[in-house]
Formats: sequence, C-alpha cells, structure tokens
Amino acid sequence: MGIPGNKDLRDGILFSLPFMIIFALFMIFPLVFGLIISFYKWDILSSPSFIGLKNYLDLFKDEKFYSSLWHTLEFVLITTPVLLFLGFVMALMVTGKSPLKGLMETVFFVPYIFSMTVVSTLWAWLMQKDFGFFNQVIKLCGGTGVSWLTSEKNAMWSVSLATFWWTAGFNMVLFTAGIKQISKEIYESAVVDGASYLQQVFHITIPLVSSTTVLCLILQVIASFNVFGQVYVMTGGGPAGSTRVLVQYIYEAGFKYFKMGYSAAMSYILFLIIMIISVLQYVLLGKKKD
Amino acid sequence: MKKLLTVLALLLIALSLFAAGAKEEAKSSEKIELTFWSPFTGGDGEFFDAMIEAFNNSQDEIVMKNDMVKFDDYYTKLTTALAAKTAPDVIVVHQGNMPNYVNGSLLALDDLVSKDILDDFQSAPLDACRFNGKLYSLPLDVHPIVMYYNTDILKEAGITKLPQSAEEFLAAAKQVKEKTGKWGLGIDNTTGTYKAYTLTRLFFSMIAQQGGSFLNSDNTKANFNNEMGVKALDFLKEAVAMGVNPNELDYDAAMNMFKLGEVAFYFNGVWATGTLEQTAGLNFKASPLPAFFNDGSCWAGSHTLAIPVQKNQDPAKVEAAIKFIDWMTANGELWAKAGHIPTRKSVAEKDSFKALPYRSDYVAAAAVALPTPSTPAWDEVYGTSSDMLEAAVTKNQDSKSALAAMEKKVNEIIASY
Repeated sequence: MGIPGNKDLRDGILFSLPFMIIFALFMIFPLVFGLIISFYKWDILSSPSFIGLKNYLDLFKDEKFYSSLWHTLEFVLITTPVLLFLGFVMALMVTGKSPLKGLMETVFFVPYIFSMTVVSTLWAWLMQKDFGFFNQVIKLCGGTGVSWLTSEKNAMWSVSLATFWWTAGFNMVLFTAGIKQISKEIYESAVVDGASYLQQVFHITIPLVSSTTVLCLILQVIASFNVFGQVYVMTGGGPAGSTRVLVQYIYEAGFKYFKMGYSAAMSYILFLIIMIISVLQYVLLGKKKD
Repeated sequence: MKKLLTVLALLLIALSLFAAGAKEEAKSSEKIELTFWSPFTGGDGEFFDAMIEAFNNSQDEIVMKNDMVKFDDYYTKLTTALAAKTAPDVIVVHQGNMPNYVNGSLLALDDLVSKDILDDFQSAPLDACRFNGKLYSLPLDVHPIVMYYNTDILKEAGITKLPQSAEEFLAAAKQVKEKTGKWGLGIDNTTGTYKAYTLTRLFFSMIAQQGGSFLNSDNTKANFNNEMGVKALDFLKEAVAMGVNPNELDYDAAMNMFKLGEVAFYFNGVWATGTLEQTAGLNFKASPLPAFFNDGSCWAGSHTLAIPVQKNQDPAKVEAAIKFIDWMTANGELWAKAGHIPTRKSVAEKDSFKALPYRSDYVAAAAVALPTPSTPAWDEVYGTSSDMLEAAVTKNQDSKSALAAMEKKVNEIIASY
C-alpha cells in the first residue's frame, strides 16, 4: 500500500469482490433485513406495519416458544456429549494400530455424506411403530414393539440416535486430525516408561487434543442448537408437539402461519443464545489452554 | 488488466448465450403457453397428470405446463412467488387457505367467467370461494372426510347393519375385536409424517353434527369447550381406552392397516379411494361420514383453481387460463378417479362419472360438507388443535380440562393475527 505502482490493494479488492458481493447479498442483507422486520407485523403479501418491540414481548409470553426452546436445549444436552465421545472413540480406533482402520474410517464417515432427508426418512422407516424394521425384529424375537417415535418419552432419544449415526463421523475427522498432530515421540517415551494404552489416552491424547475438543464442542453446540431437519422429517415435531424444536417453530411461524416479524424475532433470540454460549465457551475453555 | 478483460469478455459471451436461448424458446411456440403449480404428489398426482395431458390433447391453442410441488413446501413456495408477483398463470389453492391470498394476490373472476359456467357449479362449494363479495377461484372438487369399511371383517364379526350412532359404533367395534381379533376402528391419533389431523376433522364434524360449530360465527373465538365438545372428545378417547382403536397410530400406519385388512372402520378424506381400490384382496365399501350424533355433517376441504395477479397481466393468458379452468372442472369425472367429488352439476349427470364405483356412494356428502372457517389464523388453529387432541386421546386426559386448555390456546392464536 502507498508504494507507487503497487496495485495490491486494488487487486485485493477485485479478487475478493465476487465473494463480498455474494456475502453481502445473501448474508449481510438478510441479517439486517431480518432484524428490521422483527419490529414489524408482516404476512409477506400485505405491507408491513411497525409494532416496535411487540414481537419480542409476545414471545416471552408464548408457551410454545418456551417449550420449543426447551426441546432444543434437550437435544443439545443429549447429543453434544455423546457425539463428542463417539467422535473421539472413533478417532482413536482409526488412528490406532488395527489393520481395519482404513475400512473403519470409511464406514464411520459414510453416513455423514448422506443428505439429511435421506437419513431421516430411512430412520423414520426403521423406527415406524407398526411396520418398521426394528419392531419387526423385536417381535420376531418375542418382544413387544417399542414406540420409537410416537411416545413422548422416546421420541427425542430416537431422533438423537439417528443423529449420532449420521454426524459422529464429522467429529471423528476433526479428532483424527488433532490426534495425528501429536508427536510420536511422546507416546514412545511413555511406552518406555511403561504406560498402558489407557494411561496414554488419558494422560497424553486427551490433554493434547484439548484445542480440537474445544473446537468440536463449539461447532457441535451450534449445530445442535440449529437442529431442524431430522426432527421435522422423523417426528414432524410430534407426538403432540413434544419434539418441536425452536427452528421448526421459527419455520412454521414464518412460512406456514405467515408471521414474518414474529418468526424473525425468534430467530434473533436464538442467534443471541448461540452467540452468548459460544463466546462463553471460547473464553472459559480457550483460556485454560493458555 | 488483460486478465480482467478476458474474464469480462467470457462473461459477456455467457450472458449472450443465455439471452439467445431465451429468445429461441419464445419464437418456437406460437401456442399460448401457461404454467401451473399443483401440490398433488400423493396418490392423486398421476390422475392429475393424466388430466393435464388430456387437456393439452383436447385443443391446439393452449399448452399447459404442470409443475408438481411437494405438498409440504407448496404454500411456502406459492406465497413467496405471489409476493414477488411471479406466480404461475394458474394455481391450486385449498379453499381453507384462501383468506391469506384474497387481498390483492388473486385475480377476481366475476367478470371473466360466463354466467352459464357459473350456473353449472354447485352453489355451496362455489360460494365458499367468494370473499368480500368477490369470486377469487373456482372449485375443482370437494373432498370430505368419509368412512371406509371392510366388508369381509364385518361379515366375519356378524355385523349386518351399519352402526347409526357413536354408541353403536363403539359397540360394533367391540364386537369386531371380540369376534375377529381385529381392530374395530382405525382412527389415526399421532403425528408421523403427517399430523393427527383426522382427530380434528372428526372432532370438527361431530360438533357440527350436534348443532354446534368449532369456532363462533364470526371466527373470532373457540366454540367447542361445551357439552358437545366433551361428547365428541369422549368418543375419540373411548375408542382408544376400550382397546378397539390402536393407540399411537399415525396416518400412514392407519392407511396400511386398513389396506392389510386389519381394521373394520376407517375414516379418511375421499382421496384415499383411489389408493384403496387398487389394493388387491381388499373388499371394502365407502359411505358418507355416519351420523355419530344428530346428522351427517362432515369436515371437507376443496381444491380450487385460481389466477394469480401478475406484474404484467397478459389478457390472452388470462383468457386461456379461464378456458383451462373451465375444461378441468367440466371434466371432473377424470379427477373423480382420484376419489374427489366433482363440483359441476353437468359432471354429476355424466354416465362416465356414475360408472365409477364408490364415488356415487359418498357423493351425497358434498351437500353436508362444512366449509373451512374463513380466518387467516385457521392453519395455526388446525395444527395446534391436532396436537392437543392427540395428547388428549393418546394419554386419555380429562376431556373438560383438555378442552379448556385447547380453548385458551385457540383464542390466543386467533388474537395474535
């Protein structure tokens, strides 16, 4: 910059322009527009009317908002620890000495490349109460069928189960990368000192992948908070709304019931929640490492 | 700089290619080309496609291009297109969804359709398409909830006469269960790929059968938290509590069980007929929704055909669209193959319609079909009521407190619009 004849700045701007235009058009603009319409009452088809903070005030009186938020939280609390654990264990298996590790890596990761709709439809069929594969097998073995998706007690767990199978592979990839960065010499000296495999895992691997763990945790919490597709396809939010998550309610309020402003206000609350949790995680967990 | 110029030149070439493509397309068709969106991806889709094809073959002025949109996404897609005024030339709108669209998104048809055509429509479904004194669409069909019953099971259970009241239905269902071990009733009551709308449809019908209505007359308040509501909900709960109707039964499973001959009495919209009659080995009959209480009033939906308002409305296209709508409704016997009841008087007279089995058994239901309450809040009320009735029936909640909670929720929803 500033050097005569140097066109870095101009070229820099030109090169980043394609991205910046798309980013502004599809990220910045909707973000700002969403914030603006959250202060309006708008059904898309007629002209919006300004109602100030009413959407936000209504939202705090809406039982369905609280129950949807709670179901989301439930999903986050169920899936985050399990997915981190599964991802880590899978990563240990594929970075270990097993001759099958190449095969395992593929098997563990393949579910992740399927689309949400495929995975959810498949699991919804497997778990269907009267004709599903799982219950057919259970009945063949003499048991009674389980209400996988149709009882309030089980539905969220069943959706979580499908989610484990689907997304654990992604965390495995992150953990594998983290584990591979650990220097071999550390393990070698531990072996010389007589450390068992478990001691190596607990005293070397886990402490040294902690930055990957923090990354996985933050990504996983954000992903779980944004859950929608699996729940929507597998249970439709049922039975009796007991698995309706916040993103589903946002979608329904906006695109089924045409309450655009209300829907936008809920999105902003969800955004705030995710932001606060991510910042907290980053500050609290990130600091420890330094 | 040279590179930048190359990129720009390439972009220009690409753009002109697109433009050329578009121009060519416009030149090749001298016929009027209309676009159309429909949500029929269920069993009725194939019948609809066949109808469009028959229309295109029946004349050589208009070519209709049909785009099927998955039902779940249909109204989302439609609403955004209507907001941008880029919707297709003709669309399908359920009569119940019209209140959302009649303020400037749909063309008023009063001056565009001839009186001869209008007179041929049955008045109830046609009047349901009028809002604020104007006609915004023409009804393609009426699709009420009806009853299907398995004749083999009834014979095996020794039931020779159809039950005539709520009590008789429960008794008959019990008899089926005891004599054959099969399910007496197959009313779906939980959310699967589809909400437990059947519960709301039956509840809605049963309140009307007792002389009441689901919402009050100006659709501003719930009107079911009373003796009539309790009686209706008690019947739905009792069927499950007595063990004659499966608990936690979802829509698809209910349909499958009836197809497999595991259920004696099954309730669904007439759209099930097309699928059921293709099921090998299933011997069944159809009838209008029985009078559980005083009369046979029944919930019904109606697919209507409407013309969206465009940025630049082409009068030639509007005229062609009217011709299309006229043809589709006047040949309603083709659509009746999917199970639906046609809306034109002339169609009901046609031999080709009368020859269709089952349809004539329930065609009378159209006369007692209840229109959907005309309020923009209906979709949310409908969905929420289905959730709450699902909880009440599957968990055998106390009817009075369940209805009180539902009333409160419904009133809140209506007030929020």
